[in-house]
Amino acid sequence: MTIAELVGQATVGEVGFSADQCLKCNVCNTACPVARVTDLFPGPKYVGPQAQRFRSATALAPQGLGLPTIATPDRTVDYCSSCGICTSACPAGVKIAEMNSRARAVRRETVRAPFRDWLLGQTDLTGRLGVAFAPLANWTLRNGLIRALIERVIGIHRRAPLPVFARRTFQARWAARPRTRASSPELGPERAVVYFHGCAANYYEPAVADAAIAVLRRNGFETIVPPQVCCGLPLISNGLYADARRRARQNLDVLADYARRGYRIVGTSTSCTHTLKAEYREMLDLDDEAARVVAEATWDISEFLRELADTGRLDTGFGRLDEELPYHAPCQLKSHGIGLPALDLFALVPGLRAIDLDHDCCGVAGTYGFKREKYDIAMAVGAPLFERVRASGAARAACDSETCRWQIERASGTPMRHPVEILAAAYAAGDAAGMRSGAAAGPATTRGDVVAE
Amino acid sequence: MPSADVVVVGAGLAGLSAAIALAEAGATVQVLAAGHAATHWASGGLDVAALPGSPTARAGVLQLAAIGTHPYALVGDALEESLAWLRATLEREGLRYDGELDAPLRTVPSAIGGTRRVAILPAGQAAALAPWTAGQALVVCGPAGFKDFWPDAIAASLRRPAVWGDATPPSMVRAITVELPGLAGLRNLDALELARRFDEPGWRAQALDAIARALDTDGAGRGLGAAAGRVALPAVLGLDDHVAVLEAARARLPLEAFEVPLVPPSIPGMRLYRVLRAALRRHGGRIQVGEPVLRVELQGGRVSAVVSSAAVRELRIRTDALVLATGGIAGGGLLATADGRLEEPLLGLPVEAPAVSEWLAADPFDPAGHPLEAAGIRVDRELRPVASPGGPPILDNVRIVGSLLAGQRYLRERCGDGVALSSGWLAARSLRGMVAPPPAGTGEDMS
Repeated sequence: MTIAELVGQATVGEVGFSADQCLKCNVCNTACPVARVTDLFPGPKYVGPQAQRFRSATALAPQGLGLPTIATPDRTVDYCSSCGICTSACPAGVKIAEMNSRARAVRRETVRAPFRDWLLGQTDLTGRLGVAFAPLANWTLRNGLIRALIERVIGIHRRAPLPVFARRTFQARWAARPRTRASSPELGPERAVVYFHGCAANYYEPAVADAAIAVLRRNGFETIVPPQVCCGLPLISNGLYADARRRARQNLDVLADYARRGYRIVGTSTSCTHTLKAEYREMLDLDDEAARVVAEATWDISEFLRELADTGRLDTGFGRLDEELPYHAPCQLKSHGIGLPALDLFALVPGLRAIDLDHDCCGVAGTYGFKREKYDIAMAVGAPLFERVRASGAARAACDSETCRWQIERASGTPMRHPVEILAAAYAAGDAAGMRSGAAAGPATTRGDVVAE
Repeated sequence: MPSADVVVVGAGLAGLSAAIALAEAGATVQVLAAGHAATHWASGGLDVAALPGSPTARAGVLQLAAIGTHPYALVGDALEESLAWLRATLEREGLRYDGELDAPLRTVPSAIGGTRRVAILPAGQAAALAPWTAGQALVVCGPAGFKDFWPDAIAASLRRPAVWGDATPPSMVRAITVELPGLAGLRNLDALELARRFDEPGWRAQALDAIARALDTDGAGRGLGAAAGRVALPAVLGLDDHVAVLEAARARLPLEAFEVPLVPPSIPGMRLYRVLRAALRRHGGRIQVGEPVLRVELQGGRVSAVVSSAAVRELRIRTDALVLATGGIAGGGLLATADGRLEEPLLGLPVEAPAVSEWLAADPFDPAGHPLEAAGIRVDRELRPVASPGGPPILDNVRIVGSLLAGQRYLRERCGDGVALSSGWLAARSLRGMVAPPPAGTGEDMS
């Protein structure tokens, strides 16, 4: 075996290789929100680049020399919430969070995932069942005794901010919508976008999808909703890479076709869009043409709308929203590296005073904060944020990621909205004002209907 | 956005000073940083100048300014003004700094039992500034099990008069190791862990009790009397609630306490970063940490946009001006090539650097300094890059600040913070007129 081959084996692509750039400066540990609140997690440096050396050593150990093989030296990697803040903070470009995620997946090859972690990854299964039996499912999940039982048997914390199932999936409503205009696919990529709704808008928050479709239509874009499955992020964070790859493949097969034809893929879940952009390639090693073309075509909805604004194509007929709006930029949004597009858009709404809360993480980190042994950690991570939202006295607050919204709403008592819902409200306020003054004209009269039940 | 009056690349003291001063003046400012660094690695003090044989920081600054090629030659009164401005800015956020440019440089202990000469320190370290008088004892006190601060080793070293140079050493140096509550069995007792525990009022009270008892029973406190000694503690006295921890320590401990900065991560440096970030945001400035800047776009001989990396595509920010605060060799502002050149990677600016034959000095700790330290970008009086001293500016709307500036030897001269602050502040003054017209009718001018 050549040295080059040995090195290739040892470094698990770019992610593993980046461990060699670690200076041991500890900056990642200073930024980690989990290590801040618990002794159970020693910090990203120890679990990430430091442990990576042992992992690489395993790959390097030549056969037959009787050297010990070390799978993954520290099970505390399970306490990494995958928020990615360590990777951002690292001045040397080490992909720490990604390293931890991979280590967790390697561990899953030898140590079977608990049923609970598997279940939290099956968002389509739980979503479809929950919607089918929504009244019962919602009652069940709000019953304290049953939740205590679930906590005991499955390990999902009784106070975990589980969302409320919608009565109908967004997909089903979309399929049954009245079709009064030309079907969208014929409109071409300049007049239509592909909507990746993700599980949240499909099973729990159809109002977010409604708002997105209305705002897109307002700006001259019809919506194409192709068949799609969970992006796979809950599986990735729970170390279930094989399952995640299957979901990714399903999505890529459908989405790549649109992307190749020039359609943009716009999503309302900032963690789903980040998964399409980055995690299929970085985490799941799906670095083929389909994954690349989909990544390049994917936009977070606020990023897409800001691009319209920057190129003078955004309808700025926003009405007045006289309110202070606390805003939390979730970790997954920060991983996009696109600045804070929601704040850029809020700045265009008359009267709206958005307040960037500038807190690192709300704690929930996808499904992390749902888990019995991690719930308290997640609550402690987000505690200063919840306090600030509460103290603001605002009627509502905004955040781009669904699980963060559920966590903050549950912990602070303040209703949480997706930024696009705020923008839809601003358009509605503009239309109402226009109608009151009897001067409704232009975009207001051609405004598309919000998809409604 | 994505557009900003000014984009600042780098979030150390130089970049953040420029950014805050510009935001204060009404400019929209976007700071882009590849990661955290400079502040988190430094002592949290403000090193302005400490030259061998020079009695005060100001004397050092004047000596360096007289060299002509040193950044201080461009700064003039801006150093004093920027220092006053920074101290006021930090104090508004709750972080006080003590010391004066004209006060004699003081010799203070380090965490490895050496000393360094300083003029301006944050409140937590400031009690080290007073000179040692006859009969005064220095008690070095640290928690048991903490691997970044070894009282016995530090004290043993500090008992050697040579360590103190010309300064009067304490009459006596003692070491005390204290068991602090609830730390037994912790696998990773680091500075961060201790600082966060000090933030909790309950633990803080218990820990200070334990330290006070140890000082008393050892005789160092009660026996000598408060006036007769000071206690050196590791710089872990709180992160979020540092002011309250300091107050509690003053009230509870029998001796006056001062913090000694540790190996990174630096808690005093983190405190400094946090208040700078808060000040920037208070004035509406934005900061993105985690994506390196890939390139800078030019139009008609001016910077027109800054492009940083993103998950896909790139983030392109249109801008009227660029402040380059990317650091020197350690910060990544300068890169060495395999064939022996130093490059400035973003704009390809000409780098003033020693010949490659001088890169490998025989003694890296030579008191004369390392030749590579002085490498950097040469600038004009407005901090615009030039190809050679006295030459015309290469780019009119670019300002170079901090350790990227040529001609400083920040390790030998201990001038890094003073250069960072004053150049950042000067860059802001120089750009202010270009990007944000001063409010009408005030006639106010920072110069």
